Amino acid sequence: MAGLEIVQSLINGVVYGTLLTLPAMGLTIIYAVLRFPSFAVAAHATVGAFAGYVANAVFGMPLLLAFAAGFLVSGLVGVLSDEAALKPLRGRGPLTVAIASIALTIVLENVLRFAFGNELRGYDVPLQRDWMISGIRIGPQQVVNLVVSVVLMLAIFAFFKFTRAGKAMRAVADNPMLASIRGVDPNMVRRFANFFGMALAGLGGMLIALDTSVNPLVGFRIMLPIFAAAIVGGMGSVPGAVVGGLTIGIAEQMSLLVIPPIYRTAVSFGVIMIVLTIRPAGFFGERGN
Amino acid sequence: MVNYLIAMLVTVGIYAVLALGLNVTWGMAGIANLGLAGFMAVGAYTTALVTKTFGFSIAAGMCLAVFASAALGILVSVGTLRLRGDYLAIVTLGFAEIVRLIASNETWLTNGTDGIAGISGPWRGQLSPVQFNWVYLGVTAALLAVSLLVCQLLARAPYGRVLRAIRDDETLVSVAGKSTFRFKLQAMAIGAGIMGLGGAMYAHYISYISPDVFRSLISLYIFLALTVGGTGNNYGALFGSLVLIALLEGSRFVFATVPAINAVQLAAAREMLIGLGLLLVLRFAPEGLIPERPKIFTRAATDITPRN
Amino acid sequence: MLVSSSSRLISRRHLLGASVLGGLSVAILPRMAFAEGNGPIPIGTLTPLTGAGANYGGRMRDAVAGVVAAVNEQGGIIGRQIKLISEDDQTNPEAGVRAARKLIDVDRVAAIMGVWASAVTTAVAPLCWESGTALFCTSGADSITRLPHKGFIFRTEPGSELQAEQVTVFMLGEGARRLAYMGPQTPFTEPSIQRMTKVATAAGAEVASIIYESEKASYRSEVDKILASKPEFIFFGGYAPDTVVLVKDLYKAGYEGRVVGPSYVIDAEFLKTVPNEATEGAYVYYTATSNETGAVDRIKSILKIDQPDAYTCQTYDHANLALLAMAAAKEASGTAIRDNLRKISQGDGEKVGFASDGARLLEEGKKINYEGASGPCDFNEIGDVTSTVTSFNVVKGGELLPYK
Repeated sequence: MAGLEIVQSLINGVVYGTLLTLPAMGLTIIYAVLRFPSFAVAAHATVGAFAGYVANAVFGMPLLLAFAAGFLVSGLVGVLSDEAALKPLRGRGPLTVAIASIALTIVLENVLRFAFGNELRGYDVPLQRDWMISGIRIGPQQVVNLVVSVVLMLAIFAFFKFTRAGKAMRAVADNPMLASIRGVDPNMVRRFANFFGMALAGLGGMLIALDTSVNPLVGFRIMLPIFAAAIVGGMGSVPGAVVGGLTIGIAEQMSLLVIPPIYRTAVSFGVIMIVLTIRPAGFFGERGN
Repeated sequence: MVNYLIAMLVTVGIYAVLALGLNVTWGMAGIANLGLAGFMAVGAYTTALVTKTFGFSIAAGMCLAVFASAALGILVSVGTLRLRGDYLAIVTLGFAEIVRLIASNETWLTNGTDGIAGISGPWRGQLSPVQFNWVYLGVTAALLAVSLLVCQLLARAPYGRVLRAIRDDETLVSVAGKSTFRFKLQAMAIGAGIMGLGGAMYAHYISYISPDVFRSLISLYIFLALTVGGTGNNYGALFGSLVLIALLEGSRFVFATVPAINAVQLAAAREMLIGLGLLLVLRFAPEGLIPERPKIFTRAATDITPRN
Repeated sequence: MLVSSSSRLISRRHLLGASVLGGLSVAILPRMAFAEGNGPIPIGTLTPLTGAGANYGGRMRDAVAGVVAAVNEQGGIIGRQIKLISEDDQTNPEAGVRAARKLIDVDRVAAIMGVWASAVTTAVAPLCWESGTALFCTSGADSITRLPHKGFIFRTEPGSELQAEQVTVFMLGEGARRLAYMGPQTPFTEPSIQRMTKVATAAGAEVASIIYESEKASYRSEVDKILASKPEFIFFGGYAPDTVVLVKDLYKAGYEGRVVGPSYVIDAEFLKTVPNEATEGAYVYYTATSNETGAVDRIKSILKIDQPDAYTCQTYDHANLALLAMAAAKEASGTAIRDNLRKISQGDGEKVGFASDGARLLEEGKKINYEGASGPCDFNEIGDVTSTVTSFNVVKGGELLPYK
């Protein structure tokens, strides 16, 4: 019995962790190219949740198309809001831009509130009971989430490694000046990173809204855990975001075996402290200061 | 109306003290400490507990609040100061959340989510509410003046120059043979102590504290106040707090005249305006409204070397 | 946010003043009004419009605005129009205090209504009793009315411990022997669990409980933990946003037992948000909603909704109670509300459910007894409403149907 309990709690951790990986990947991609931690990922997760809601519940699109809508809209909003609000601040230090991204978060959250109100909303999707496999339960939706996360991670990884655009992005991340000498337009690359990063955040936001509800605060439910995930994995590393997401997810869920659930957030930060003590840049972080 | 304006001035004063504390850590030493709400909470809870439970005087409670927050600042620093700037920011944000969780759940100590009501205020019993407001404005002005004096002395002393040097180029300072860790540790202690004072001032003014007061929203507000006023400049901390409260409160009156949208939309529009206002100041007054140094001395280095 | 139809008049009068005073801001002056005098009577709402409680605050404010508009249409109270000023507490005590200051010192409201979060209520309470402003709240913390509030606080949310007791009795009455409680940390969580355990143990039943951290994206392990005790009936102690997640996670985990929650959690919006299969058979308890005087019908027409939740009903009552107390006193002030509220809320007068109806009877010299949407609205000496849980609905196919 106790053994089953531990395995179940591990599975719950993986399930919860996959929810964190997509936005954490988004955060880390933006960080890799633009070199600042964007708090606006939370707001873009909410944007994605609403875009998917409009596609699915208002226009009656199937879930798959709604995912695409969530992805595209939050990506576009990401590019536009960055151009308007954050781009002029580049070169002012990463923390200043990070603080500005919090102000941007307030603006986006309230644009959504203005347009949709504070009501809780849900997708037009039936709920499924979890499968029971020899005493262990796992949800169909969660398996889909896991597959989507892993496929996207592999795709992104391959993109960075093998395509010209991906290599350009890495070049800009490493040295913008050198990259522009070699004919790469750093601005285009930054836009691309923003689109991709916020689109992933939006997709992640939609997945979270499926398990919770659509409302102007839905993205904030995962803000601290995704930052914890990105840091534990190493900011700027895509595989790191996946490993970090799973680590934080498993740690939070398994901690409930021993400590009261009221301290779940504290567990995330305990994990950060432990990991950073051993590896100051996180699991896959490339460079220190 | 006058009473309202006094109350808002007191709030500006409390925000300004918090912003001064932040200016020591972030503005001078360049430590990305987003845990302001946590230190503020420790200050507020310390003075509330010792004055209510043990009958300490308000002055003694405030002193203890400063020491408790400073001590916690040192404790947090030991574990986190070696982290990179952006990591430190997130970890300190988490620290503040943990403080809030402890305040919510350790009912035996903090009275939990019920919070602590009936915290004494200076001469509150003998004064009318309006008189108390005036008196507290005086108290706030005095404490703000003391904090400002400490911060100005710090900024002008060789010590302050070392801090700024660490902020602008830590490697250079450590090459010059100074222990940057010790300097940063001290800056965190001083900054956290001042933030604790701000928390204590809040507690004795409002007379009630609860975990919800210390959500990270307040850290964000203070960060924005300092950035808007001018990071690195103590007067910027003051002026930024004034601008922030003017924006937070002024927006109520602006939107009072907007007809035909519902209450939720009005509230959303108000917060949008606050966010936009701050983005605009960041955009068009890059060094804040009162820059740290005259323009010609602007750190050219910031364009290349990210602060951390 | 003027609801008064004579707002143009008052603006003009004050603008004249502004031109004399010159230096003062024109934007602020038109909003200044005084509870004393002959202009419109200012009253305020301080509901959460942003932040964690935001999904309630809009409706609550609209309920008050609806009452004010209807009363103004019928000539106002004591010959004066009502002016409503609404502020947002951001579900945060610090922001709430600033907003309350503005309502009290600038707008000079006679009453602040619709305060929701316990922490916000406790934070603004001293401002209200010091300035003589009536404070109407829907907060759950039983500690609020034990503050030294000099009679200025009225709490329309029935005592939490008593609610827990009655819901426990209901669950036991339905034949359940293993009960469970799931809620976030709030001022009433632990007292509720204690009361529940006491009542259940006396009846030979067991209680398992879990206090979770709110605003999380998943409660899978919390659900596993509570299901390990094999509960037959689960009582939800949190608010709608988190309970949506719990209900979904319980369904996914294969929970087949019953659940019960308050009407402000499982309401029409909740049932639209969560797929029907997960809410089927859920019980919803109501704290003394009555339609004896047509108050509920009036809310339905004001807000154009079928099933108003407890908070909306309570804020509707806040507005009516405040206005009637001022009508009875023939004076517009917080002190008048405090001193006259019980004269119109309880006793053997004629039953009324809307302020204008009551005001007319008062003018004729008759006695009245306000019976509102959230129940009889009788208050004890410390300002707590005396009503409690009276009815239960059950969810069938996404609809709320009467049960008990």
